[in-house]
Amino acid sequence: MALLQISEPGQTPEPHQRKRAVGIDLGTTNSLVATVRSGSAEAIAAADGSVILPSAVHYAAVGVTVGAAARIRAGGDPYNTLLSIKRLMGRGLADVQSFGEQLPYKFVDTDGGMPAIDTAAGAVNPVQVSAEILKVLARRGAEALGGELDGAVITVPAYFDDAQRQATKDAAKLAGLKVLRLLNEPTAAAVAYGLDREDADGVERTVAVYDLGGGTFDISILRLSRGVFEVLSTGGDSALGGDDFDRAIATWIAAEAGLGTDLDVATQRALLDRACTAKEALAQVEHVALEYGDWRGQLDRAGMAALLDPLIDKTLRACKRALRDADLGADEVNEVVLVGGSTRTLRVRERAEAFFGRAPHADIDPDQVVAIGAALQADVLVGNKSRDDLLLLDVIPLSLGIETMGGLTEKLIARNTTIPVAKAQEFTTFKDGQTAMSIHVVQGERELVTDCRSLARFELRGIPPMVAGAAHIRVTLQVDADGLLSVSAMEKSSGVSADITVKPSYGLEDVDITRMLQDSYAHAEEDVAARALREAQVEAERVLESLLVALRENGAELLEGRELDQLERAMEALRLAHNGGDADEIRRRIEALNELSEPFAARRMDASIKRAMQGHSLDEFDQ
Amino acid sequence: MAQHQTYFDMFGLKPAFEIDRAALTKRYRELQREFHPDKYAAKSAREQLLAMQYAARINEAHTTLRDPVRRAGYLLELAGVEVSPEQTTADAEFLMQQMMLRERLEEVRDQVDPAAALDELGDEVRGLFATEQRQFARVFAEGELNAGKDSLLKLQFLGKLQRQVEELEEDLLD
Repeated sequence: MALLQISEPGQTPEPHQRKRAVGIDLGTTNSLVATVRSGSAEAIAAADGSVILPSAVHYAAVGVTVGAAARIRAGGDPYNTLLSIKRLMGRGLADVQSFGEQLPYKFVDTDGGMPAIDTAAGAVNPVQVSAEILKVLARRGAEALGGELDGAVITVPAYFDDAQRQATKDAAKLAGLKVLRLLNEPTAAAVAYGLDREDADGVERTVAVYDLGGGTFDISILRLSRGVFEVLSTGGDSALGGDDFDRAIATWIAAEAGLGTDLDVATQRALLDRACTAKEALAQVEHVALEYGDWRGQLDRAGMAALLDPLIDKTLRACKRALRDADLGADEVNEVVLVGGSTRTLRVRERAEAFFGRAPHADIDPDQVVAIGAALQADVLVGNKSRDDLLLLDVIPLSLGIETMGGLTEKLIARNTTIPVAKAQEFTTFKDGQTAMSIHVVQGERELVTDCRSLARFELRGIPPMVAGAAHIRVTLQVDADGLLSVSAMEKSSGVSADITVKPSYGLEDVDITRMLQDSYAHAEEDVAARALREAQVEAERVLESLLVALRENGAELLEGRELDQLERAMEALRLAHNGGDADEIRRRIEALNELSEPFAARRMDASIKRAMQGHSLDEFDQ
Repeated sequence: MAQHQTYFDMFGLKPAFEIDRAALTKRYRELQREFHPDKYAAKSAREQLLAMQYAARINEAHTTLRDPVRRAGYLLELAGVEVSPEQTTADAEFLMQQMMLRERLEEVRDQVDPAAALDELGDEVRGLFATEQRQFARVFAEGELNAGKDSLLKLQFLGKLQRQVEELEEDLLD
């Protein structure tokens, strides 16, 4: 019988088709997609040969434009051209208004939740805008790989909180992408350089990832030991980047040319263009000639260094703080990785090298390095490549807590705790007969709830009526490997699970996403039913395949003949449903099969645990 | 799912206060390599969920065993001794010493050389913390659970004080 074939662990039991997986760097200014082809990771170019997709989306009354074509409309049609949307992901209206000067959009309040922006195409929220960018990248990936994608790794800044990560994942869902993992950007950059493979001696090494983009600076300190990556600390400045370099140089030109300080927008734009051109040229040549109107001048590398040094000093101060948080000195850093287009500026490299006392890694295009690392990880996660030695352990960037009496925060999970993590806390009722309870989850380091970021409010209902203080409600906060929070609750004495309604403070609810998905299909004039059927079929294929592999590994050993028969019948039923055309029927069969195979999954996990324990105790005896 | 296993069992360690930290770290990575959800990204939803729960338990076990105060509390818990968060030591001499140490911490900023004053205080607190850990290890190994409980209460005090010293060290660096 085919099911009883034996295969070595880690080997694919049959020659599967290669899975189509991509890594996506969804950036503030630019985005791009990369994949692994014939063994090496590379960015995927658009039809016109360009690799970088500007993170710009233009909304007209009819039609959405993404990328360079959208960005050039920013000047003429600012309200409908959305830039830097990443800054708004998972944020509330109050946060957004603090960016008011940089982002001249017409915001629409939506019950205090995630804000929307009014455009010619109606109100759109940041998740929808990001989804438009992801759709373009997904299409690019699918075309390059010759078919629909099986999965994607999407990168996020290491400091992104739960709401920001959730918003990113929702955008992917809206774009029809299966997210294999949200990966921290600095970790992706370190993976791109293969730093995880160079420590065969097992000595711990420390990696600093210095990421200077157009408008943001991030520094992350990672620890690496035998393929295990741990994020030790992160820091940075969300309003510092290459654009500030351009401004510093433009201000200098204006002063040299005697233009004064009160300049109109067109002059400012012209000066900034000259500044940017000069900055880029000085990466190649020693000095450049400049002119503006009647003025003629020259800027050399030393002159530019003097202009940029105060800004670079700011980044190095953030590096110092991050090192201190990690309890390390600059001389204890073994590897430095440069990320972001602004690290092409020679002065930045010189200063980073002097600060850390070692030459940084800068061979990979700093605009592409994050996407390339994500593509390498996607290739492993989707199952194309078995990398038993690579393990990315991430930490939660901010503490998670619950509001207690008097508006104070009780921290349940401390920042820098390795994820996944689960923590339980008991609560009790304070009124006789109380059957409901409201719980407010916040993220942040401060004592007062109002100083922390509100993540969600949970309503526990269905608590059995008892005298005050008699009910013991155990609330469990769980954070998965992507850094996303989920909550469950149970009344202990009765065993009743309380119903939880989640209202994300700055996020979208599942029903919102479903509605937006339907809206987007309507716009694309795509057949909703056909899409649903295809998705159900893909899911069925995935379930069948993973179960088949599991059965071949240890079905005979862990299942009785009767159980095996039942499973095979349920699998056959799912296969039949898959070939039919009814999405609901497929879903029902998947559900039935999942339920039936649950004990098998649990036994497989137990067997793994036993194996892991046995291997260990043998080692112990040897010593 | 292996809920009966103690954290010490998971890490193949003897249930004692003194542990081999290198073995703990090595074993932690072996276990995460086996059970991290990334290893189950292509498996069934059920197995993914189990992997996440198990990885969370491994992390919790690692955090507990790595930290001396939490490790001591866990050992007492396994021995059936409950310590509620409201309990405190009855050792008046110890409490008096704690008060004086705390006062010194509050006055560090007013000293002529705050960094030197904090260094001296930090060394003293670290020394007391280390001594109390040896005390716990000794009484627990001898099965004196009541003495162990009293030692844990002191460890909690000293651990908190040491954290406050470290926080002030960070502040003074700015």
